Amino acid sequence: MATDFWVSSHYLRWNVDSAVLRQARAEDIQYVDHPEYLDFLALFFAGLIAKLGKKLSLRQRVIATATVFFRRFYLKNSYCETDPFIVIAACCYVAAKAEESPVHIKNVVSEARSLFSSEATTLYSGIKTFPSDNAKLAEMEFYLVGDLECDLTVFHPYRTLMTLCWKEGSDVISEAEAGELGAGIDDGPRYWGTGEGKLEMHEGALQMAWFIINDTYRSEICLLYPPHLIAITAIYMACAIHQETRGDIEKQTQSGAYAFSGSQGSQGLTRRSSRPSSSSYKRQQPQDIVGFLAGLNVNMALIATITQEIVSLYALWDRYSEDATTDSARASLKRSASGSRPEIITPGLLIQLLWRMREARSADLSGAHSTPGRPVAVNKMLERAQAAG
Amino acid sequence: MDAVEKANADRQKRWAKDQKIGEGTYAVVYRGRELATGRKVAIKKIKVGQFKDGLDMSAIREVKYLRELKHQNVIELLDVFSSKKNLNLVLEFLDTDLELVIRDRSLVFLPADIKSWMAMTFRGLEFCHRNFILHRDLKPNNLLIAANGHLKLADFGLARDFADPGYKMTCQVITRWYRPPELLFGCRYYSTAVDIWSVGCIFAELMLRIPYLPGESDMDQLKTIFRALGTPTEEDWPGHTKLPDYVPVGQFQKTPFRDLFSAASPECLNLLSKCLIYEPRRRISAREALYHPYFTSHPHPTHPSKLPKPADKTSATLPLEELDGNAEPNGNGPGVKANPPNKLKRKLSSDELSGGGRSIARKLDFTQQRQTVQ
Repeated sequence: MATDFWVSSHYLRWNVDSAVLRQARAEDIQYVDHPEYLDFLALFFAGLIAKLGKKLSLRQRVIATATVFFRRFYLKNSYCETDPFIVIAACCYVAAKAEESPVHIKNVVSEARSLFSSEATTLYSGIKTFPSDNAKLAEMEFYLVGDLECDLTVFHPYRTLMTLCWKEGSDVISEAEAGELGAGIDDGPRYWGTGEGKLEMHEGALQMAWFIINDTYRSEICLLYPPHLIAITAIYMACAIHQETRGDIEKQTQSGAYAFSGSQGSQGLTRRSSRPSSSSYKRQQPQDIVGFLAGLNVNMALIATITQEIVSLYALWDRYSEDATTDSARASLKRSASGSRPEIITPGLLIQLLWRMREARSADLSGAHSTPGRPVAVNKMLERAQAAG
Repeated sequence: MDAVEKANADRQKRWAKDQKIGEGTYAVVYRGRELATGRKVAIKKIKVGQFKDGLDMSAIREVKYLRELKHQNVIELLDVFSSKKNLNLVLEFLDTDLELVIRDRSLVFLPADIKSWMAMTFRGLEFCHRNFILHRDLKPNNLLIAANGHLKLADFGLARDFADPGYKMTCQVITRWYRPPELLFGCRYYSTAVDIWSVGCIFAELMLRIPYLPGESDMDQLKTIFRALGTPTEEDWPGHTKLPDYVPVGQFQKTPFRDLFSAASPECLNLLSKCLIYEPRRRISAREALYHPYFTSHPHPTHPSKLPKPADKTSATLPLEELDGNAEPNGNGPGVKANPPNKLKRKLSSDELSGGGRSIARKLDFTQQRQTVQ
């Protein structure tokens, strides 16, 4: 977090549309049988970043930044022409520095080595071993920072989530903050920490929204939409999925309280109104969540689109099996959106695929030294189509 | 050459690198120009060395923040490109810095001049703080001055964004003479007030023409501060005795500002004293400072173009040695070099990284692979 999002490099240079994303995968797509595999690769790599990040004890935000760096790097490069494993390590290394929690390059190399070799030996024996030399990672870091055009400030949905929402009956954070020595940029009245204008959520629902945000990094959603919209989508989804919260909303809407408290609630939401009575008012009656979301003044159609993207990510994820993870959000979605196709994708399969893509690319490039690239690859696609049909 | 390399090459072609004008720990600075317009620029080449330990943390911080910040009182990063094994930052070219101006005995400062520099400093700093960025290394030689007299904050090698509540930050920041007492006492949770203290020290230095609080060691720095401003009482600064590195350094009486700054106006001294309040939370903010009566009372701030400047040494084609002297202000400041404030000081380091076969490339090297296959 730093600076104003609307004039930031994140918004101006790295918020891309799906056409740009398609263009970025143009090379890779020639070497896979179905475009879906690229989404599985995106899922797989993000999982590896999270694993490596955890081993290096990086915070969630640093892992998120590393993932965004990885996605941005592959806006300009293709999977089949690079070594994604060393890129992953470099992303973690740079993200740790960019987020002010640096780790030594030696640790990154050794953790990456142990992670990738264990992944590789259990899954696929043919993979190239990860270099043990610091210099190689440092060199990759240099290419990475170059391709990122030195744009190292990344915005994440987490902050929006924590700004908009507020765990039921907690004022611990604000007290700790206020008690800090030397804290305090006391420009004018402060609203944070007072709970004013925030959505009060069940702890479980808030946790779920957080997990949903974590999950979005497994796809390319973080490149496509501004983080605050992703955060709002996560809140929206958590409200819809979380049992108790949904119960509350249903009660409100059925009893007709919605129309009444909707106008009340949204007034209390405007940040500048500092009515001391509103907190006690909130205690008596559960907050109007629908009114709150409506009062955010964002494009709800876009929120619906992002919701769709997240749901389809979960559908995809359902068909991907590693070891069982226990995100409650995922588990409950699994039930609602169970996949229709039985096919299960595993990391081993993906590593093999990656290996094949790389070899095919290499063959193409060496086969046509005079005119490398596209034309040959197109022919290859044709061949494959003919063989299949 | 793929599209990415081409885009980079196109960017590189916009700029020409001329002579070397300075060197820091992680970068070499060259004079350069924009080929299309002839505009002067500074090109900071970040040394990647033999890729031993990765990019320097300061380099990461500097590019991270300069890529985002655009303000008339903050140095502008015009472009970034990579060449062979170096990362190049193209910065706007700035003629001189406030330290050289202060040290130039031939220049006379009017109160209005000081007001103008202070206003520009606070404006740049307010912009940083408004964007949640702490500079953490404010001192006269990081306040650069453009040909048109505009002052700009530079050197974001120690900058960072505000930590989330509850996360510690290092207290080993800010060049010692400009470092606030809370950092000297090892405070790990701090905020914008640390930069304000530095600005206060610079303010005083503009009036005195010598550093206001030149401590010789961290311990002596505290003593120097207390000698000038009086040892703080529990009432002045509640809780300071509980800070991690608190040590009693003796009782001193405050020297009234009036004695030292005899020519200053009351508003001027009022603002100065608010920048140098012990209790960080009561210290004035950059935003409040801009609304301080000092800036609206007579005399009005001098227009930047009319501010005193050292004789223009850089404009003509001067021999490299002189340029070196000018662009490496660290070498000139009396006393600064003699007492390098610990780790933060730039040190000269040996240049140039000789080739050495490229081990990995951004892309996979298929030529090698093919060789092994055949």
